[in-house]
Amino acid sequence: MRTKTNKSLPFPLLAMLLAWVIPGAGHAYLGRYKRAVIVFVTIGATFWAGMAMGGQLTMDYHAERWWFMAQMLAGAHGMIGWEMQNRLYSELLRDAGAGQEFQHLRGRGQSAEQSVIDKWLSARKQALTSPTDTVARAYAGVAGLLNLMCVFDAVMLALMGITGERRKDQDAPQPQEAGN
Amino acid sequence: MGWTIFVNPVRLPSHSLLWMLLPLCLAVAIVYKTIRASTLERLWLKIAVLAFEIIIGLVALGVVMWLVYVLAAGSN
Repeated sequence: MRTKTNKSLPFPLLAMLLAWVIPGAGHAYLGRYKRAVIVFVTIGATFWAGMAMGGQLTMDYHAERWWFMAQMLAGAHGMIGWEMQNRLYSELLRDAGAGQEFQHLRGRGQSAEQSVIDKWLSARKQALTSPTDTVARAYAGVAGLLNLMCVFDAVMLALMGITGERRKDQDAPQPQEAGN
Repeated sequence: MGWTIFVNPVRLPSHSLLWMLLPLCLAVAIVYKTIRASTLERLWLKIAVLAFEIIIGLVALGVVMWLVYVLAAGSN
């Protein structure tokens, strides 16, 4: 896919970092701008569709750690979602928490603590119940997993030195030559 | 306190669970074909075909699982 005569090969680590932080940015770095836009829009839309359905508890580090890890793969989207969840927990600790005692119980699954949390969330209309929780977390989580696929693709392309789009007259992708 | 997008969850009806898979399948097809297609020519056709294949595959899997369930329930 030798459509550019770049002076140097792309850096795989930079491609990986860009692709993770901003979905599609890895492909933009490699000169695949159309693909980058499609990836950026699709992953962003999928992630925020999940967040719109599930609200602030879509990302929940304490209750759904596997989904949380998948959601964090969406880069900046995941970080914003995490911050939204942190704000909710901060408000929870401030409003419903009994100070240090509550913090001590937090995350250990005590029924007393869970009861306090559930009441507080219900009062604020923020309790995430079935089937919304499944759908919302799946959307945000799948967005993260799709971004993982994009990160992997960007790294592989960078390692092979492939940048830009293939022209119509080219049959097979060709890596760049170093030092062109 | 009113409903605020991205803050309060929406209430999805229980039968909506399977229907919500369709946009997700489309998202998977879009991202997969966008990064894997050798050229961007007729990309949307490739995406539509893959999305259709995923949905048909899921339906087929669901039918097989349902048949296994029915057969297992009938044998007991």
